Amino acid sequence: MNFQPFIEDAEDLYQNAPFGYMTMREDGLIVNINATLLKWLDYPRDEIVRQKSFQDFLGMGEKIYFETHLMPLLQMQGEVSEINLSLKTKGLARLPTLINARRILNQSDLQPVYRFSVLDITQRKQYELELKKAREKADQTVLRLKQINQDLEQFAYTASHDLQAPLNTISGLIGLLEKKVKLSSGNNERQYFSLIKSNTQRMKLMIKDLLEYSKIDENELEFESVSLNEVCEFALEMIRDQVNKENATFIIPELPTIYGHKIQLVRLFQNLFSNAIKYRSNEDPIIKVTYEDKGDKIKVLVKDNGMGFEMKYADQIFGFMKRLHSHDSISGTGIGLSACKRILEIHGGTIGAQSVPGKGSTFFFTLPKFPDRENFKG
Amino acid sequence: MKNKIKQRNNVNILGNGNQPMVFAHGFGCDQHMWRYITPAFEEDYQIILFDHVGSGKSDQSAYDFEKYDSLHGYADDLIEICDELQLKQVIFVGHSVSSIIGALASIKRPDLFEKLVLIGPSPCYINKDGYFGGFTRQDIDELVETLENNYLGWSSYITPVIIGNPEMPEYSEELRNSFCSMNPEIARHFAKVTFLGDNREDLSKVLTSSLIIQCHPDVIAPVKVGEFVHQQIPNSTYELLDASGHCPHLTAPDKVISHMQTFLNRAD
Repeated sequence: MNFQPFIEDAEDLYQNAPFGYMTMREDGLIVNINATLLKWLDYPRDEIVRQKSFQDFLGMGEKIYFETHLMPLLQMQGEVSEINLSLKTKGLARLPTLINARRILNQSDLQPVYRFSVLDITQRKQYELELKKAREKADQTVLRLKQINQDLEQFAYTASHDLQAPLNTISGLIGLLEKKVKLSSGNNERQYFSLIKSNTQRMKLMIKDLLEYSKIDENELEFESVSLNEVCEFALEMIRDQVNKENATFIIPELPTIYGHKIQLVRLFQNLFSNAIKYRSNEDPIIKVTYEDKGDKIKVLVKDNGMGFEMKYADQIFGFMKRLHSHDSISGTGIGLSACKRILEIHGGTIGAQSVPGKGSTFFFTLPKFPDRENFKG
Repeated sequence: MKNKIKQRNNVNILGNGNQPMVFAHGFGCDQHMWRYITPAFEEDYQIILFDHVGSGKSDQSAYDFEKYDSLHGYADDLIEICDELQLKQVIFVGHSVSSIIGALASIKRPDLFEKLVLIGPSPCYINKDGYFGGFTRQDIDELVETLENNYLGWSSYITPVIIGNPEMPEYSEELRNSFCSMNPEIARHFAKVTFLGDNREDLSKVLTSSLIIQCHPDVIAPVKVGEFVHQQIPNSTYELLDASGHCPHLTAPDKVISHMQTFLNRAD
């Protein structure tokens, strides 16, 4: 097969290319313009060529831009690219364009001329404006949500904090009553009393956890290099009574240093350790911590030999105030694990769990090795 | 301290002469715009080039929105540069807004300056109280919009502000390399300070011998404005150049040099 080379008609290409072309002198006077641009601007050729300057198609503000930026750039660099200007059509509509220009030194003329290619970006400009509007709206929404979130956190803190005092009084009075009033076993009053007591305890626990949860505020956190071994020691110290009472064993190897907020990390480990003991099996609790190096992240695993759970609940357990057990069987508020999740979110990490009922559970999470606040989710 | 100011304003010194000639660029550009003028004076003068803070390769972090909220902030910088370099009998050459910056500096410290060359000066761009500046407030708002559309290319609205973003050095580098580049926030502010200011009252206080170089036609600083400046500055010479546009030092450097030489060689 023989192909004849396709010869472009240069004049036709210049006049009818899907692009505007024009040539102007240094003072702006237009000396040539193609048919496409004439059509866009809605002018006959003889009204433009050697009659109008490029500046005539600009608004006043754009004229200043032309004189202070575009022309100096062209004179200094010999070319400009992607300049966004709106050209006025004959009917005074504005045509959004993107302009590239280049200086041509015409040998027959001492004065240089400038060739402009003009791209109609009406649709793109519309799209740009829509994007801009959407972004402004999104920025406002984020700002509003942040404020609402802050208010809610403040509310949760204030409410739980203020609820503590009267509850402590009630709890104290119940203790006093228990000592002073003799209730014979078996009667209703004794049962009521016992219910009041256990519910008061439960409420105390809930308020304590809520208060803890509301304190996880990423805005006030200062991140630093933290030794995970030190964090584990602190966490164990916090639950020492529980560890001793349940005869739990912890196996913790040498752990790396990560980048995070120490107090929040102690809270994270404390919650996980405490859960591993609380949801124990008949065997004495054995909790083993291991880690895997994942480049710029560390994956930490906390494995126990407890009662475990069905994997269909694996996501549910991290929900706020979600529990798999009734308060009567194993006390709790369902706040601990959701607090863990929130702490990890602030650290830019994730948390998950693997479990087999009766065989124990493994909780795993990732933490960053180095500072990179940009990646942290608020 | 000396280096700090030199760095802040990206001061460059060249030439073989003794008498200092300080060049100040106009809005939207940097010291490179003097490249066609300075060679003519290098033999006989000490040439001092600098960028206004916020422009060119100046220290962008030194841009204080309060300080540069009027042209006095820039005039103070000019005086600081002269003092640090221990300049005397300075020939000041200012383009556009820098004409007024030089005029303000000469009012504050007349002892520093011997002569002022003002290219396309305008003390007030807005038409008001019967005065013709050439522009309305709306025109300046339109300029600011055009600047916003162009400082980072047409899509600047969509991308976050990337200048000074240490995580995207390639962008900052690209912008630094581009003549006439500015941080969009600074460009917007500088545009407003330049085009919305009114220094008409100051002109009569300029006692230094001044040359006004006026182009025709010049949409930024029209002839009427140049004539006004000439009327107001007592000891001034007015030259109407046979050149159009606002940057004769780029388009007609020979004419600018010629008028400057005549003015400088004239005994006052």
